[in-house]
Amino acid sequence: MAWKTKQSATIEIDKRSEPYLTQQMQDRFTEELLPRYETKHASLIPILHEIQDEYRCIPYQAMIEIATFLELKPADVLDTASFYEEFSIEKLGKYVIGVCQSVACEICGHQAILDHVRKKLDLEPHETTDDGKFTLLTLECLGSCDTAPVALVNDELHENLTIEKLDQIMENLPD
Amino acid sequence: MPVTEPVLCKRIPTAPWGDPKDRHVVSYDEYVKTGGYESLEKALSMKPAEVVDLVKESQLRGRGGAGFPCGLKWTFLPEPDGGRRYLALNCDEAEPCTFKDRLLIDFDPHLVLEGVAIACYACQLDTAYFFIRGEYHKQAKVVQNAIDEAYAHGIFGKQGLLKGKSKQAVECYLHRSAGAYICGEETGMLECIEGKRGWPRIKPPFPAVQGLFGRPTIINNVETLAALCPIVKKGKDWWASMGCESSIGAPPSYGPKLMGVSGHVNKPGVYEVDLGIKLSTLINDFAGGIRGGKKFKGAIPGGVSMGVLGPDQFDAEMDFDIGRTNQLLGLGTACPTIFDEDTDMVAVARNICRFFANESCGQCTPCREGTSWTYKILCRIEQGNGTSKDLDMLLEIAGSMGIVSGTTICGLADGNNWAVRTIVNKFRSEFEARVRPSLVAVGVTVGAS
Ligand SMILES: Cc1cc2nc3c(=O)[nH]c(=O)nc-3n(C[C@H](O)[C@H](O)[C@H](O)COP(=O)(O)O)c2cc1C
Ligand code: SF4
Ligand code: FES
Repeated sequence: MAWKTKQSATIEIDKRSEPYLTQQMQDRFTEELLPRYETKHASLIPILHEIQDEYRCIPYQAMIEIATFLELKPADVLDTASFYEEFSIEKLGKYVIGVCQSVACEICGHQAILDHVRKKLDLEPHETTDDGKFTLLTLECLGSCDTAPVALVNDELHENLTIEKLDQIMENLPD
Repeated sequence: MPVTEPVLCKRIPTAPWGDPKDRHVVSYDEYVKTGGYESLEKALSMKPAEVVDLVKESQLRGRGGAGFPCGLKWTFLPEPDGGRRYLALNCDEAEPCTFKDRLLIDFDPHLVLEGVAIACYACQLDTAYFFIRGEYHKQAKVVQNAIDEAYAHGIFGKQGLLKGKSKQAVECYLHRSAGAYICGEETGMLECIEGKRGWPRIKPPFPAVQGLFGRPTIINNVETLAALCPIVKKGKDWWASMGCESSIGAPPSYGPKLMGVSGHVNKPGVYEVDLGIKLSTLINDFAGGIRGGKKFKGAIPGGVSMGVLGPDQFDAEMDFDIGRTNQLLGLGTACPTIFDEDTDMVAVARNICRFFANESCGQCTPCREGTSWTYKILCRIEQGNGTSKDLDMLLEIAGSMGIVSGTTICGLADGNNWAVRTIVNKFRSEFEARVRPSLVAVGVTVGAS
């Protein structure tokens, strides 16, 4: 939901001594990323992508570190991070199953797929299993309506889904 | 003369000319061996202004949804002043039911990159951002790989376009979005590239004058830029030999168009056909007819923002006039989704409003509130708890939101507006059958003694 409101800027946050934005990352960003854009601010989204991929979430501490690195206010980073669906402040599961719920998938049977995952994992959309292995999401059109119903499992798109196919995909995911 | 050979799908096997099973990513070498980057070479032998004129005369219309004339858009740029000028390539493709740009970047990314190079030369732009939606993971890798190949072969880079054949140097970078439909709106996209929330900007100023980082910026769709390659190579007359003239005295709809058919058809997929093709022809001759021999009930012509075609519009001509000829917002992305006779249109409307309610960026009250109100009302009606007053309220809320009604910043709200109004108006009896009549008002004032 793109318009969810931002969290308050005055919350207490968890901190750890080790930085999330490592020196190696910073060096790489300085060399490869910053020169691509006119402003430092513009490197924010590619950096958030890397942090999200690495830690499966964007911890508040990482936002502060990114802000320092890009000479922004932490609130600027929160502002952007909280807008985009792919960035999550809460830690997502090792496998994020995103079932497309838009119209072409709905009329081609997305509900059966969604219900199956729901029951199998005992999860509602936007929840994560206790062992941290799975998160279930409902996503909007994934640009693959000709092979509906579809779902993304992490980076990989699975098309023409059936319940059997989905079971197989999930069983083949290593722990 | 209709489309007689694949144009944008030249290297992407597509029915009826090829078998989709034979599709593969076309590498730089294969691309060049099959005539690739010859259009760029030809463009570089012309003056930039001549390329702009050619595109203008070809009457190429934008393939991103609005059908705005590409060459005309380019002429809105101010003269170069020595500062930076940008191209932002729109590969957001998050509009439900749309999947045509994906075909090009899945298999023939260099066609798009060649288009980028031609546009940058014609408009004298120095930096191109290839903006791609976050969910296109595999595609982002294909495109990044193609950009790397293009740099390695001197298409982009400091030496100047095409190994320094032109002094004009162009840098091209991939920018991945992160899951927000609104970043497909052109100024929302610019905000996203700048690292901010994808909040569309109030226009004017228009991006051509003040766009990315406050500098002149051209924004085009993937398919629009890909079309530049054949137009430069074969000319405007050849381009105008495909597609159709307007039947209502509006500008023509020339050229082939990628149309991605989905929903209840036997062979869903992307087909390259003439603009102006009848929907029935597209469904029956290309997409294998309606599944299970069922009857046609309706279709979304090109993305849920455009509204729907009703049961009597099976023969609608898929050109840029379709909005006026078939009571829709427009052609949109020309990727029709087909509904068979068993489809529940209340559920379709509810699904579409949920989408807009989820994706509204929240800046404008009529859109932020209106999208979720229409969603809630439709849920009520679907569950059998709606009244006929709900139906009136639904139409009133929907009809009051959008740029056309002057209440919002961007066109997302118009999408919700048109989807709701066209579905309810074209399938009114279905909605009426689901609502209870409202109690008739009598002349009693509550609270009166
Ligand atoms: C809410 C909204 C979403 C849009 N999404 C896309 C999109 O995903 N891809 C696209 O090319 N254009 C999209 N557009 C249209 C763009 O704003 C813009 O008109 C287009 O990219 C211009 O390219 P063209 O002239 O080559 O068609 C969207 C517009 C709106 C209002
Ligand atoms: S119309 Fe809707 S999506 Fe567009 S700017 Fe306003 S609130 Fe955002
Ligand atoms: S509606 Fe599911 S991929 Fe488009």
